[in-house]
Amino acid sequence: MRVTWASLLPVLRTLPWPTLTAAGGVGLLLAAVPRLADGTAAAGPALDLLRCVALTGGLGLAFLLDDPARHTTAAVPVRRLARQALRAALVAPPVALWWAAAVLLVPAEIRPPVGDVTLEAAAVGLLALAGAAAGVRLTDRPRPGPGVAAGLLAAAVLAPLLLPERWALFVPADDDRWAAAHDRWALLLAAAVAAWGLYGRERLGRRR
Amino acid sequence: MNPTVSASGLSLHYGRTRALDEVELRLTPGVTGLLGPNGAGKTTLLRVLATAVPADRGSFTVLGHDPRTARGRQEVRRHLGYLPQTPGFHPGFTAFEFVDYVAILKELTDRRARHREVRRVLEEVGLGEVRGRRIRKLSGGMRQRVALAAALVGDPGFLVLDEPTVGLDPEQRMRFRELIARAGEGRTVLLSTHQTEDVAMLCRRVLVMAGGTVRFDGTPAELTARAAGRVWSSTERDPGAKAGWRTGTGTFRNVGDPPAGADLAEATLEDGYLLVLDGMGAGVAA
Repeated sequence: MRVTWASLLPVLRTLPWPTLTAAGGVGLLLAAVPRLADGTAAAGPALDLLRCVALTGGLGLAFLLDDPARHTTAAVPVRRLARQALRAALVAPPVALWWAAAVLLVPAEIRPPVGDVTLEAAAVGLLALAGAAAGVRLTDRPRPGPGVAAGLLAAAVLAPLLLPERWALFVPADDDRWAAAHDRWALLLAAAVAAWGLYGRERLGRRR
Repeated sequence: MNPTVSASGLSLHYGRTRALDEVELRLTPGVTGLLGPNGAGKTTLLRVLATAVPADRGSFTVLGHDPRTARGRQEVRRHLGYLPQTPGFHPGFTAFEFVDYVAILKELTDRRARHREVRRVLEEVGLGEVRGRRIRKLSGGMRQRVALAAALVGDPGFLVLDEPTVGLDPEQRMRFRELIARAGEGRTVLLSTHQTEDVAMLCRRVLVMAGGTVRFDGTPAELTARAAGRVWSSTERDPGAKAGWRTGTGTFRNVGDPPAGADLAEATLEDGYLLVLDGMGAGVAA
């Protein structure tokens, strides 16, 4: 706990703020489109826009674990998962505020169910973090973010096209499958948390 | 003397490539040099010993702690300083802030004591005057010293240095040698390098690696002795030599099996190293 407290400020300074700010700015611009569109936007496009906003947030979070000093701090006693969790905890409040602002920018009359769409956004964000953790564990790169972001973007483009009907995630709000789709989003979120927990740990040598 | 580091059967594969192959090792206090060509497995061995990557097989202990358990690895890291081959930094940090950050990650949580320790190591590496300067404004040699200070912070008993003098000019290299020699007083230092002069000047012991295995383990004098009577001068390139090159005086210096009546020259550590790599001097001396 004392290490966490002492490392708050330096870790805060090591976060990729320019990337996160850029992603956040693009996301807010996207969220503002219905208000800028003379009130002609419908509920369907508003949902798609919020999904794009969530994706931009996820793309920004894909860079969260980038660390140019990775190799210099490779052999310190503080565990990698704890260091990653601290980074995530530090960005969580601004990300939550950002998401709230994005949702509020969409006019109430066309706003999709906030809880469900927030679940989607959380799943995307945690998938990005799990991908970033995998990038750290499986590669030697100090900055795995670009590759992780590219993978997330590709997955977001391909998933609606390739996922079979019974696994559909991107369904309209008035669709009968909405509730079932969000059960799947919840599962995806749980899987992302588990994957992050798995990839965030450092491997131990085999005992033979 | 009890070894600081004791390794047995360390092996590591990257896909089908055998990076480490049954490495046996015992390191005691003082500076041990690690020589070998590119791809010999030096950096892999250092990364394994620094607990940055785990071995596929085999075991090792650092000061009696086994890093194959989470607790053991944490204990090892509490006694370890690691300077990687390509140290990275947060360029917006000052030298002081960066070493302080590493000190926090090394669990030095008492602010006053930690700052004292950070100032001490920065003084030790000669950066006391520029500790408030941002890393992006430091020269390559100074950055390397920041990385060394980060490795030294917390006074670790085992120091792993991966090619710390690469890319430094001769004056900076001399300065670094001085720092490493001082760091080796009372602690165990494993120094990977391509510079045979560094080993000759600094190391009490030398290991030569090739193909993921240790080909030689002995003192620098023993490595040099491998080439005794196997170095000769000639006016023409000797086709029978394992290696030969024209020197500044115009004569050729040859290393290998000298012909009868050859004009033998004094062997150097580099000659011994070349012969060990060639297989002629293979074998473990100590």
